[in-house]
Parts: sequence; structure tokens; C-alpha cells
Amino acid sequence: MDITRGEIAEIVEGKGTAIPILQSIQEKYKYLPEEALRTASDISGISLSGLIGVASFYSQFRFSPVGEHIIKVCIGTACHVKGAERVYDSIRRLFKLSGQQQTDAAGKFTVEKIACLGCCTLAPVVQIDEVTYGHVDPAKVKEVIEDFDLHKNKKTVRTAVKGKIREAEGEIRIGLGSCCVASGSEDVQKALRQSIDENDLNVRLKHVGCVGMCHQVPLVEIVKDDKDPIIYSKVEAGSVKGIIEKHFNPPTLGKRIRQGFLNAIDTVQSDKDWEGIHRYSLNVRDEHVTSFLGRQVPIATADRGVLQPLDIEEYKSRGGFEALDKALKNMTAPQIIEEVRKSGIRGRGGAGFPTAVKWETVASMEEKKRYLICNGDEGDPGAFMDRMLLESYPYRIIEGMIIGAYAVGANEGLFYIRAEYPLAVQRVREALKICYEEGYLGENILGTGFSLDLHINEGAGAFVCGEETALINSVEGRRGFPRIRPPFPAEKGLHEKPTLVNNVETFAQISHIFRKGAESISKIGRGDSRGSKVFALAGKVKRGGLIEVPMGITVRDIVFNIGGGVAGDKQFKAVQIGGPSGGCIPASLIDTPVDYKSLLEVGAMMGSGGMVVLDETDCMVDIAKYFLAFTQNESCGKCTFCRVGTKRMLEILERLCNGTAKDNDLDELEKLAGWTKKGSLCGLGKTAPNPVLSTLKYFREEYEAHLNGSCPTGKCKDLISYTVNDNCIGCTICAQKCPVDAIAFTPHEKHNIDQEVCIKCDNCFQVCPSDAISVK
Amino acid sequence: MCRIKIDGMDAEVKQDTYVLAAAGSLGIEIPTMCYLKSLDPFATCLLCVVKDRSTGRLFPSCSVHVSEGMDIITDDAEVREARKTALELLLSDHVGDCEAPCQISCPAHMDIPLMNRLLADGEINEALEVVRRDIALPSILGRICPAPCEGACRRKTIDQAVSICLLKRYAGDFGKEESHTATANPVEETTTTTKSEEIKSSGKKVALIGSGPAGLSASYYLQLRGIACEIFDAGDKPGGALRYKVPKEDLPEDVLQREINSILDTGVIIHSGQQVGKKEFEDIRKKFDAVIIATGDFSGAQEDWGVDYTAKGFTSAKKTYATNLPGVFVAGNAIRSQKMAVRASGQGKEAAFSVSQYLSGRTIQGEPRMFNSRFGKLMEEEFPYYLLESVPGNRLEPSGGNKSGFSKEELIAEATRCMHCDCRKIDNCKLRDLSDEYKAEQRHYWNPDRKPVSKSLQHELVVYEPRKCIKCSLCVRLAEKHNEKIGFTFIGRGFDVEIGAPFNEELRGALTVSAMEAAEACPTGALSLKEIRK
Repeated sequence: MDITRGEIAEIVEGKGTAIPILQSIQEKYKYLPEEALRTASDISGISLSGLIGVASFYSQFRFSPVGEHIIKVCIGTACHVKGAERVYDSIRRLFKLSGQQQTDAAGKFTVEKIACLGCCTLAPVVQIDEVTYGHVDPAKVKEVIEDFDLHKNKKTVRTAVKGKIREAEGEIRIGLGSCCVASGSEDVQKALRQSIDENDLNVRLKHVGCVGMCHQVPLVEIVKDDKDPIIYSKVEAGSVKGIIEKHFNPPTLGKRIRQGFLNAIDTVQSDKDWEGIHRYSLNVRDEHVTSFLGRQVPIATADRGVLQPLDIEEYKSRGGFEALDKALKNMTAPQIIEEVRKSGIRGRGGAGFPTAVKWETVASMEEKKRYLICNGDEGDPGAFMDRMLLESYPYRIIEGMIIGAYAVGANEGLFYIRAEYPLAVQRVREALKICYEEGYLGENILGTGFSLDLHINEGAGAFVCGEETALINSVEGRRGFPRIRPPFPAEKGLHEKPTLVNNVETFAQISHIFRKGAESISKIGRGDSRGSKVFALAGKVKRGGLIEVPMGITVRDIVFNIGGGVAGDKQFKAVQIGGPSGGCIPASLIDTPVDYKSLLEVGAMMGSGGMVVLDETDCMVDIAKYFLAFTQNESCGKCTFCRVGTKRMLEILERLCNGTAKDNDLDELEKLAGWTKKGSLCGLGKTAPNPVLSTLKYFREEYEAHLNGSCPTGKCKDLISYTVNDNCIGCTICAQKCPVDAIAFTPHEKHNIDQEVCIKCDNCFQVCPSDAISVK
Repeated sequence: MCRIKIDGMDAEVKQDTYVLAAAGSLGIEIPTMCYLKSLDPFATCLLCVVKDRSTGRLFPSCSVHVSEGMDIITDDAEVREARKTALELLLSDHVGDCEAPCQISCPAHMDIPLMNRLLADGEINEALEVVRRDIALPSILGRICPAPCEGACRRKTIDQAVSICLLKRYAGDFGKEESHTATANPVEETTTTTKSEEIKSSGKKVALIGSGPAGLSASYYLQLRGIACEIFDAGDKPGGALRYKVPKEDLPEDVLQREINSILDTGVIIHSGQQVGKKEFEDIRKKFDAVIIATGDFSGAQEDWGVDYTAKGFTSAKKTYATNLPGVFVAGNAIRSQKMAVRASGQGKEAAFSVSQYLSGRTIQGEPRMFNSRFGKLMEEEFPYYLLESVPGNRLEPSGGNKSGFSKEELIAEATRCMHCDCRKIDNCKLRDLSDEYKAEQRHYWNPDRKPVSKSLQHELVVYEPRKCIKCSLCVRLAEKHNEKIGFTFIGRGFDVEIGAPFNEELRGALTVSAMEAAEACPTGALSLKEIRK
């Protein structure tokens, strides 16, 4: 590869710190070539050690060339419990990858795991370049790749939607959140546009943010003549025409016939089997919308499914920026903080620190240069609230940030957003631009004399950067090592100046306080947890999605009423709340109220708000191992207890799951968990043992079973075997699907699995039509 | 100013003082590894954890400032346990030897690599001095020792063990000692010189029963400490089993006599032809301040001495060799019959430690042994690194046959085969010292699937052994401070984080002006000064 000094100079130009330089180099060359880094070091004056130290910290950066296309297998919690590892193994088998090899021999595909794509309701999810596939079946990965090959050249282009000038007959709303896009909503949107144009309809096609019903995406909502809106779920591009023509009359009968309307209408109601590729699956109308949405309290997510994310006029027409106007023009900074205090709102990022106290601390500092940071580095592998909020309500968050900046006296601030959330970055960037144009940002906001500049910092893949001090180091261009608190960022943060760091959701709830009054928040909730909290509900639940519920609602209410209970009529086992920092709440504690205090009492944590439902087939030791593997991998490596402690804990869990555990391993695990909690420096290490401790507390018998060499749920590969039972009808489907030929092709005879050859990929169990595969 | 309390002591310190420094000002020392006064604290090792009395929370004292009313506990059971756990976690990922495996497996715990280095340089007298710190009878043992050290020699995994026993024999046969006083064990001497003198002036005397390897050895080391020794021996000539059980063709009379004489020359008095029965034993106990039983194989005739015994021999405490009778110790085959003179000799030396401690009224602990980091067998990919400081080729056999011993040329060639498995930082390793102090166990969290060891020797001043690194980051921070152009950095994250130069840059270019300072600051043997201990 030819890398010229000029190219690198262009990249380095105007970038002060390592991360943006590295991101641009990688964007250009698809990895970080040594030569490019050496040149960049030379030009930028950042030492080579400095560059490598930073580059090797963040998982976004690669040091070796990759294939033409990158296949990212999401191994987030929801995907994990739905068999992501099997999908990953299956793809590797397909490309005949061995050992550390990540790219196929032809150099066409590179396969890698990714912590979380934030499409938890579509689990398991695989992303190939920009195309996302949901509900991927390990036995069907070949078809997925074929589908990609077929569609890769027909890249969809996002087009701006122009409203028609004449009065519209109605409105068609389509969700364009990441889940929606991943499930094919862009194609649906294109088909809608085309259909509208072809029929010359006077209909407004509107992009809305996340509706929250991520289990039913893509969603198309038809609003007409003040009637109740009609929602179509899991819409497929091919059926769009039918939907449109059902609701809107094309101008002439002749045209109608030409459009083949009569043909189209039938397919709308049919449910087609798509052979495991759910890229465009189709379902009939969803009937559970009311129970899903009815119990929720939309504050951060107000006007969901209605707001077009970037339409600032619409945001204003629904009360947007009223709060800002009121706060900036009629209130002093202390009054604002007092109002926030009265609302009782606490940090929604997980730890629940009282927001007003944080604001007051920053405001009280002697140092006048202050910063504001919106923490959108949502790294929990089972959560996607921040992503949805950023994608769907960018103005609401910006409004909260401006009020916060005014209250604490900050004139500069930034969004820190994960690079894995490209759509969120794009929307916020656009929203910021519009806010500047409209005078909400920049000099002399609303003529009040208050000025604020906001920009975006893209994260580069490090869970620990969700920790505010690590985030600050990252913004300053360093490795995301956490700093010791105190001093807290509120006292000494970014560039050693007082810095207000709040979570996306916290900022998203601020404007509500000023528009509807502090009581509108404080009247909701339980104990000292006031207001509402957004959760990402996923896993083995019938209706997953993004929900905003009043604090104090019970786990039961969420899982069974909002979520519709456990999918596939399995038994509810537990719900994992708070991701890698949280814990599992067992079925016996299903009436636990969801508030900061109660969750801590049962060994879980509000955390980031990921909520993954587990059923009877989920192995709790495996879940603990899953989270430990995650935190171990995400540990920054600085302090002894976290760096080595999490690794040694993981090793014990691995021994339990592969049948080589020692007698005292459970005691050792508990002890080590205790020390890691006590001795680690930052929140990541201090909470990393929680998933282990809570499962040990509630499911100790499962651990003991593993100690004795058996996995009660049959999840741990090394402790189970696959055999054929007498239900076998000799259909050979399993033999055909076995990737390693462990099952002989013997039609009409009972099949047999060669245990020596079997790799326990679960394919046979998945495809057997007669329940003839036993897993023990 | 802040008023604080540390371990119950009141202090008033400046606002921006770290707790570690505040404790220091009160004379309270808190252990650290990643802390260096000239750098900002970074808190990686967590050895400096202390406890906030009011919240019960642990925090690293190096990085937390004092605050008004703080009440700190620096050393209670929980804090100590936390430090021990931190050490054990670090040790579980610290792949390196402190002492070389040969030394650890030597029953007399002789510093073999050091002897080998001196011999390789032709410094025979100095080598003998090193040998005699632990082995009083080098010429004798150089002929009859089964050499368990050679079984443990790492070179054996690569080709053949270094011929340690014959090397030692050469030192014994040809080395000349300047004076006896300089050869006593340094660990003991540095701390107890004055006490030894007291013992001498108080005229305390020790009786040894038996003049075999255990008795000779014990008397030698006691005498060197200024404690007068008298040996009571049943034989007509001293030497015990060495004289009466070892075939003369293995151990010629003149060699035996010469080495016994060298021990008697230190002032040991020998009473030959003295049978010791119940009465004599009691008389000896009355006359002497302490007794070491070194009679060789236990016999029924000794049952009535009043010392506890089993069928195998006299019962004694592990490590101290103390018996049930105060002031009576035991060493060698009198404890258990074994055909290993080196073990008897080693026990004699160790019993001398106990006796010396007993006589000066200290706690009897036997020979002090430091913590040792160890790892399993060498893996093939590690061979080249271990051979960096050695020469290729199989072990040399003496041209005149094994009985003749090495010529000087052969000696030097064979001694050069030693790979110096002992750590360069053996005497100034914080990790080792603290592991010793906190009684950390390396195996507690050890994973046998260790990462392979490597060494980088191309720098003129320092050696880098990344597997010993405990990621304290002092070197990274020092390189940064000195504005190294390439420098050292963290590479990767989590457990797999490595510290090193980017893109496998040569050590020589990565650490220039900061190299010496970094090696001196390194709390363990990862970065060490190239110059090896001699």
C-alpha cells in the first residue's frame, strides 16, 4: 500500500488528539498500517508510544488488514442468550477459519465479535458492513451471506423527505431507529416513497424515531382523517404497495388497475415463511400495542412514534424549547438547580447520584472555565436506551444540555457517543447544526447573553469509558484509564476544569421538569427514586423494546404486562438488570420494585438500564461467565484486583463450565469476587463481581451441579452430549444440517450421532421436526 | 491544613498531601510498588491500600488526598489480607524465578548460579567463598553428592544439566580462603554482628555429638559466629559416615582429612573415641549451653536420652530442628536415615542458625528463607531466550574421567554453560520482599497455562523480561517524563495488557536516557540493570 506523507498530513491536520487521528487513518486504510502511524507520530508530535498506547486500548482499532467486507457478530447479552456463540462458530466454519484467523482465504470476509450492536430485540444479530440481519439462525448463515452478496451492490441511500406543499390526506409514519433500519425499514421506506409517487398520492411520509416496540419492527403507522392510527408491524418492502393502496385511493381507477392493486392486497394478510432469514419477515397486525405502551410514562421518550427526529419545527410545536426559554429568560442558575432538586431526579446512567447535587458542585467551583459532557458511551452489552434517545430525540437532549450548561455556567460541552452508533452520531451532528442555525447554540442564545458551544466526540470501543473519569481521559486523547475520585469531575474534570457529566437519559428528562414542573417528576416513583426510567427490555420476552416506566414498577409488571411474558411459553427464571454491573433477580423476587434502593438490596443495580429476561433453558453459571468474560475483556488493565482478579474469576467459571472445577472453587470464587469488589479502583471493577455474586446467591445449586460435572439446563457444551432418541423418524434433516458429518445419512432408520465427531453446534436439535434429539 | 488521624495518631497536614505521605510523616510506612516520589501517583499495584475507618472502604493511599477529619487504618487484618491478595494476584501472572531451581533444590541451599559465574570468570577463591557460605565440605561433597541440583537444572530441559557437582569440587579442591570470618552466611551476619560478639564474650559453648557431615557442618558455622564448639565422637578419627561408610575410592582419605582439618582449624575441639550414653549425654547438657545431636543413624541405645523419638529417629521441629528438650537440637541421619551427605550437611548449617538464635535469646526460626517465585518447566519456545546468556553444547565430561575432576579450561567451559536462571533483582525486588512479608502464596491463583517467557538483552545497560512485569507502569511514566521519542507504553488492555515498546522496536532505541532510572525503579525483575550479581 502506498501511504504518502501528504495523505497523513491531511489526516493529522487540525486534530489535536490521538483518537480522531487514528479514526481517520482507519477510515482511510481500513486498519492502522504501521507506516501510517509512524508518519502520523512524526507529523503530530504525539510519541509512537502514545499512539500505540491509545490505539491498542480501543477495540475499534485494527492493526492488520481486513477482508473486503466485515461481518460483525453481536455477542451482547440478548444475542448471547439466543445463541450468538453458535452463530459465530457457524460463520467461522463456513469460511473455514481456524485459530486466530479472522479473514477467509479469499480475503473477502473478516469475521469478528462485537460487544453489542444495540439491536437486542432482533437477537441474534449479525452485521455485514452496513446491513444488519436479525434473528440469525446458526443453521442458516450460508443463506445470510448469500443474501448479502445479492444485495450488497444495491445500497440504500438515505434521502431527505420533503413534505408536499398541498394539504396532505394523511400521514404514513415509519420508524427509522437502528432496530427498524436493521430489520429493513429503509427498504420499506423506499417502497413507500415509490408507491406514493407512483400513485401520485397526497400523503405525508414521515420518519419517526424509535417507537419502542422493537420486537415488531419495521413498523408502519397510517394516520388518516383523525381516526385511530393503524399500525402494521414487521412490514416487508414487497407488501408496502398493498398497505398503501388499502388506505389511500389512487386518483383514477385506471391507474389503480395498472398498479395491480387487486393482487397486492392479498399478500398483506398472509404470513410467509422466509426460511430463517428474517430480513423482511411479515406478520399480521399486532394486537398488544396497548398493553405494551399503556403502562409506560413517556418523559424522555415523550411523543414517541410521532416526532420526526430532526424536524425542529415539529419539536417546537410539541412544546420543545419552551423549557429552555423559561429557564434562560426567567430563572437564575440557583433557581434552576433548586427546581431540579425538587424534582428528585437522580443520574440515569446507573449510579443514581442526585443530579442537583452534581450541578450545584460544578456551579460552586471557583474556577470559571467549566465544561459539560453528555455521556452517551453506552457499553452495556444488553442495553440500547442511549442509542434510541440520541437517534430519536436529539433536540430534547440538547435542550437539557443547554439548561444544564446555563445552570452550572459552562460555555463549552460535548457529546461522547460510541462509534458503534453511527446513526446516533449522524442525527446528533445534524441536530447540532440546526440548533446553531436556529440560535439555540452558539453566541448569545435566545438573546440572553448566554453562549454555549457543543460538539461530538466519538468513542472508540471501550466499555470502561462509560465511567466518567475514563471518559474524560478518552476525550483528552488518552487511554481510557479511570482516575481516582476524589477529585470528582464536578471539581476537576476535563482539562482539570469543573465538568458536569450527565447521562443521555438524564439530560433527556430535564426539559420536562421546566415545562411541566418539578412535581410532574417527583410525584412519580417510589422512595427516593423519582420519575421514570428507560429500560431496554430484551431476551426471552415476548415483546421486547425500549420502555419508559415509572420508578417503583415491579419486575413482574415489566416482564409480564409490558413484555407479555416469556416467549415460547417457557418458564420465567430470572431477569438480568444492569448488565455487567448488575445482577440477576430470580423468579421468587419477581415483585421487587424497580428503584435504585430495592435493586441494590437484591444484589442487582439500576445500571445502564439493560433488562434481559431469562427462561428455564438459560444456565446461570453460563450467564455469570458471559458477564465476567465481558468485564475481563473490558477491564482497562490498570489496577491489580480488576485486571487479574476478573481473569482468575473467569478461569474458575470456565472450569465450572467445562467440568474441571476443583472442590474449593466456589469458595475461592466467592472470596475473589469479594476482594475484586473491595479492592478495585473504579466502578467497572467494583461492580464486575455482581453478576457472579447474585447468581451464586440465588442459584447456588446450579453452581454445585456444575461442580459435580453437570449443567442442569444443558447449555454448557463440555458437560452435555447430543443423542438421538426413539422419536426419530429417520428423516435425515439432522444429517443434512450437521456441519461435521457426525450423523450418517441413513434414511428411514434411527439416526446416530458420533460423539467423537460432534461439535455440539445444536443444529440437529434446532432442525429436528420430531423432538428426537436429546441434550443431556 | 487538615486534621486527620492515622492508626490512632493525630496529625495536622497540608491540604494537598496524599495519605501515603501523611502516614510517612508520622513514621508509618505503607508498602508500595508502583509509587515513585518523583512521579505523580498512578495507583496500579494497590499494595498501598488503607482503610477509611468511618466507611470501611479500602483505597490506595498513594493517590488519595487527605481530607478534614479523615480517620485511617493502615494495618489491620483486612488491610493485610487485601495486600496479600493483591500480591497473590500479581504473583499468579509473574513468570520468573527468584532463586534458580538448582539452588532451591539443593538441600544445603547453595547459591549455585553465583558460584558458576565466578568460576566461569576464573575467580576460584571467590567461588569457594560463596560455596562455603552454605557448604562446609565442598571437596567431599564434590565427590559423593548425588546432586539433586542437577536434576532441577533448567539446562537439563534443553540438553544436559550443568555439571554443578564437579564445579563445586573444583572450587573446594583449588580455591583458597582468605579468612574464615568472612564466609559466614551474610543474611544472618548483617543483622547480628554485635550479638555474635556478645555470645563470644559470654563464653557460651555448644556440644556436638557426632563428627559426620551434620556435626562438622554445624560446628563450622557456629564457630564462625564466635560460638565455641566441642565435638564428642565415638570413632577414633573424625568424619563419621564419611570416613566409615563411604568407599575410599569415592572419597580418598587425604581429601577427607584436609577438609576436616579446615573445619578444626576454625577452633573446633574434637573429642574422639568418646561414646555417649545416657549419663554422658546428661553431663554434656549440664556443661554446655546447647547440644546438637548429629550421631548419624538412630540406635536403640539412644532411647533413654530423654529426647523424643520414633522408629525412624529423633523427633524435631521442622525448620528449627529443636527437640523436646530446651537447647537440644538434632541434625542429619539422627532424624531420619538417608544417604545424602549434602542434606545432613545442610541440616547442620540450619541447626547452627537455630542454636545461635537460641543462645542469643531470639525466637528460634532456623535459617531464614525468603519467598521464592517459581514457574514450571521451560517450554521449547523459551530455550533461545535462556541460552542468550550461555553457550550451546552438551555438558563436558572431565577428560581424565569423572573421578579426576575438571581441568581449569574444562571448568571454565562448563561453568559458562550455566544459564543464570536466578533473577538479577534477587536482592532488591519489592515484589519478593513484600510477598515474603505478607506470606503470599504464588500458587493460590496460578494458572498452569502460563504465557511464555522471553528476555531482551540487546540494551547495553538494562535487561527486559516482560513476563516478570506486574504492570506498575513506572517505566512508562519515566519514559514519558524524559520525553523518550519511542518510549514504553501499555499495549492492549485488560489482563492481556503488555508493557513494552511500540511495534517491537528495539529496547535500546525505546529506552535511552530513562533506561537506568527505569531499571532501578522497577519493583521487580522485569527491568533490571544488565550487570549481574557477583
